[in-house]
Amino acid sequence: MILKLMKKEWKELIKTGKIYALLFPFLFFSILSPVIAKFTPEIIKSLTSTQDMQGIIIKIPPPTWKDAFLQFFKNLNQIVFLVIAIVFLGSISEEKNKGTAAIMVTLGIDRKEWVIAKFLFQVLVVFSLIFLSYILCVYYTYFLFSEVGIYETIASTFLYLVYIFFILSLCIFSSSIGNNMLQSVGIFFAIFVLFTLFSIFPNLEPYNPLTLSSLQNQWIVKGVIWKDAIENISTVIIYSVILITLGIIYFEQQEL
Amino acid sequence: MNVIETYNLCKYYKEKRAVDNLNLGVPEGVIFGYLGPNGAGKTTTIRLLLNLAKPTSGYAVVLGENITKSRKYLKKVGFLPDVPNFYNYFTAREYLELLSEIIKVDKKRVDEVLEIVGLKSEKKRIGTFSRGMKQRLGIAQALLSDPQILILDEPASALDPQGRKEVLDLIASLRGEKTVFFSTHILSDVERICDRVGILKEGKLILNDTIDNLKKRFSKRILHIEVNNPQKLFEKLKKENWIESISFSDKNALLIRVKEIQRAQREIPRIIVEEDILIDRFEFLEPTLEDIFFEVIS
Repeated sequence: MILKLMKKEWKELIKTGKIYALLFPFLFFSILSPVIAKFTPEIIKSLTSTQDMQGIIIKIPPPTWKDAFLQFFKNLNQIVFLVIAIVFLGSISEEKNKGTAAIMVTLGIDRKEWVIAKFLFQVLVVFSLIFLSYILCVYYTYFLFSEVGIYETIASTFLYLVYIFFILSLCIFSSSIGNNMLQSVGIFFAIFVLFTLFSIFPNLEPYNPLTLSSLQNQWIVKGVIWKDAIENISTVIIYSVILITLGIIYFEQQEL
Repeated sequence: MNVIETYNLCKYYKEKRAVDNLNLGVPEGVIFGYLGPNGAGKTTTIRLLLNLAKPTSGYAVVLGENITKSRKYLKKVGFLPDVPNFYNYFTAREYLELLSEIIKVDKKRVDEVLEIVGLKSEKKRIGTFSRGMKQRLGIAQALLSDPQILILDEPASALDPQGRKEVLDLIASLRGEKTVFFSTHILSDVERICDRVGILKEGKLILNDTIDNLKKRFSKRILHIEVNNPQKLFEKLKKENWIESISFSDKNALLIRVKEIQRAQREIPRIIVEEDILIDRFEFLEPTLEDIFFEVIS
């Protein structure tokens, strides 16, 4: 039944056009990031050559593939993260709000399977898009810089996948608790802000999912050190499992 | 055999007793009209029966399964909510085909149910459907798994007369094939198609019987009398304590509800003779469901 329910999610993504809302930013930033990294120094140089800025000397080191991927992850962590949250936060709560969830569960569809199917589908779609945009970014980076650190970029992308796994489980949890999109957005950002506040305490870093984003950059710049991330990855996976489990338990008990 | 049974079923929301000690039995194969004024607890009962809400206390048995312990029975139940909402971006066929895959029903059944509800050739997206079309699609969706029980929450309340007739005819056509549990506050709908009726007031079931039995129980208590001087008879009868109510049904006729039928049979002719009134017509009326409903509710 889970596969069939995932098929319904896929059809919904296509028919509502949400697929384009997801696809466009992924493709856009995977192509744009290496381009921005390559041409930013030249743009700045051309600005300083104007009459007003004459006399100012700006020294910018020549860009490398690392700048392209730093730019890529920066965009993924900011804009694409928001798009993912907006597209998926209403996945359960809006169905509850509109009454379509009630129809589905009264057809005898298992509530647990319904939630799991939504989560697996979201993971599958977002991971596929990340994979696609990674390939594109590698291609354009190689095209523009003639070199790419494959191991570092794959390892950093893996950290991003773990981070997104957590974000999607937080989406499912918030959507299960909230009775409409607005409530779900509130719950999601409340928890997200809580983790942002964790960043104030350096000793909590291994337990903070947001640390994964800074590790991505570190690995690109300084090289991959797995032992720095093991604790963080494990914690984030545990958080994700807890969030999904709580989301399922809550939805199982919920009146629709 | 009852396919739905509730035992002291209660659902309380803070101060409000939405369903209060409900003991209800619905026999197999009947069209059961679940009647009550707005806010009586009809939708809450349905939500409890469908596991969409949890009882505060008590339980129900649907198709032999205790609903507080299992949800498997839902596969044998079809449901139409009072305001059905679907995935608006699908056509009716796409939607039902998708559901048929999910609940593992042969796709041929989609054609059958679309035929039944008259949406077989409809190509528009559900989002553009009228209320009546959505209602019909809701019935198709409820029939898709060929359920043993159909639970319909106010299926015709918001429809125009034509749409209402279509939906009621559709429900009536299921008689004998399925048990239909059908909530409404429109008495004429129940009278038209239901075999059995339950009347709910403030969460309590105050009546549950066949319409025929109800009419027998409440019949011979309404009299229609036509005389040459109705005003005189009216003045005489209104003082009697065995009269419940008396009114003019037209210029020469009185409509009289009595508390004691035998006394009325004896006293009214006596008064007519004593007052030298000429009688044109003396008839016991069969009560409508509306008469019964208001009598029971009051």
